[in-house]
Amino acid sequence: MRPTEFAYHRAETIEHALALLAEHGEDGRPISGGQSLVPMMNLRLARPAHLVDVNHLDMARIEEDADTIRIGALVRHETYLTHPLIARHLPAMLEAVHWIGHPTIRRNGSIGGSLCHADPTAELAAMAVLHDARIVLASTGGRREVAAVDFLKGAYVTDVQPGELLVEVIFPKPTGPHVGTFDEVGERLGDFAIGSFGVRLEHDGTRVRRLATVCGGARMVPIRMTELEAGAAGQPLSALDPVAFGQKVTAMVSPSGDFRASAEYRRNLIGELASRTLQRARDQAMGMK
Amino acid sequence: MKNKIELTVNGKGHALAVEPRRLLADVLREDCGLHGVHIGCAHGACGCCTVHVDGAPRLSCLTFAVQCDGKTIETVESLGGTDATHPLQQAFRKHHGLQCGYCTPGFLMALVPFVDAKVREGTMPPEAEIRDAMSGNICRCTGYQGIVEAVQDTIGQGLRSQGTGQ
Repeated sequence: MRPTEFAYHRAETIEHALALLAEHGEDGRPISGGQSLVPMMNLRLARPAHLVDVNHLDMARIEEDADTIRIGALVRHETYLTHPLIARHLPAMLEAVHWIGHPTIRRNGSIGGSLCHADPTAELAAMAVLHDARIVLASTGGRREVAAVDFLKGAYVTDVQPGELLVEVIFPKPTGPHVGTFDEVGERLGDFAIGSFGVRLEHDGTRVRRLATVCGGARMVPIRMTELEAGAAGQPLSALDPVAFGQKVTAMVSPSGDFRASAEYRRNLIGELASRTLQRARDQAMGMK
Repeated sequence: MKNKIELTVNGKGHALAVEPRRLLADVLREDCGLHGVHIGCAHGACGCCTVHVDGAPRLSCLTFAVQCDGKTIETVESLGGTDATHPLQQAFRKHHGLQCGYCTPGFLMALVPFVDAKVREGTMPPEAEIRDAMSGNICRCTGYQGIVEAVQDTIGQGLRSQGTGQ
């Protein structure tokens, strides 16, 4: 199929883009890489009357300050694979990016587009939730920050209001030694996941300082296993039991079944992925790789 | 409403008036007469429509032609013409890398930059890396093994001709 009619506007500055989005309100949509929006338009699931092309705006940088990594909305997925700030501060993200689509999609897709599309098992949405990222939304009325867990409201539903543009994603830096892992299973390499799990482990060499988790496929948005996170804090690294952890995750999640996988398969898959990602994180933290 | 755009396609300038909703794939096929651009799924799953925009592979079914104003585009026709003389095309023929051929232009446009990069680096990639490089393209005839062999053969030829690798 092909898209319905729309008017095309090429934004030259962020202010220009915000003015266009304010003017067109509900009928306007920003487009960056188009790797999620254009399929939706081709299938006529999205029918924006005005498309605001933001690809030429100055939003493609990864920058750091004392406490945060700031990722511009137009940063393309493949950028993370070779970026030293990501390898140093967000290792789970480095693993997750390998699972996003295919090379051509990773070259063109942007973090702003992926988060605003909000597929339930999208890797970058999971990374935003895992790292307690804050989403920066701009409009002609100013800027606001939303926590990733509040930004993602449901399958393909976000907190973006008409006239708003996602301009930046702020990831807090870990404090002290840390490791991160991510794993997923899909039908085909590059397809959206049936289930996924990510772990971020801050430690002091012998004990867990802080455990963060993210689980994809259990609900319509990525979720944290906050109870298990709290239980791990302060424990010796050697006391982390990946098998028991996986079993607890299996017992706690209640995913739905669909044409790709039954609920039962998905529940057990998520538990197994939780076990594997925690084991790798623990072994890395203990210097066992 | 139509927008005026200028594209450089396979080295030739095209001044066109296009509706914004028209996909680059459709404009290349219908307005530029380049029928080597194949459309499989039109939602980014099959890779058939891969072309190069300013030198890098891009899915022309997920790109509006109006976004490409002023850009340089190469299609499969730029590789080896109707005789398919490009080394990777020849290797596809030799290793049974195609049967019906519908997906072949997409595979070639996705893989030629990969092959060139590996030859420049002077390394033969492991099979898993080749399969990752072609993971965005679907072939329903070959089972992919012939395509992997064609890529290995072409990189091997490139490495030998510049005196690097095995």
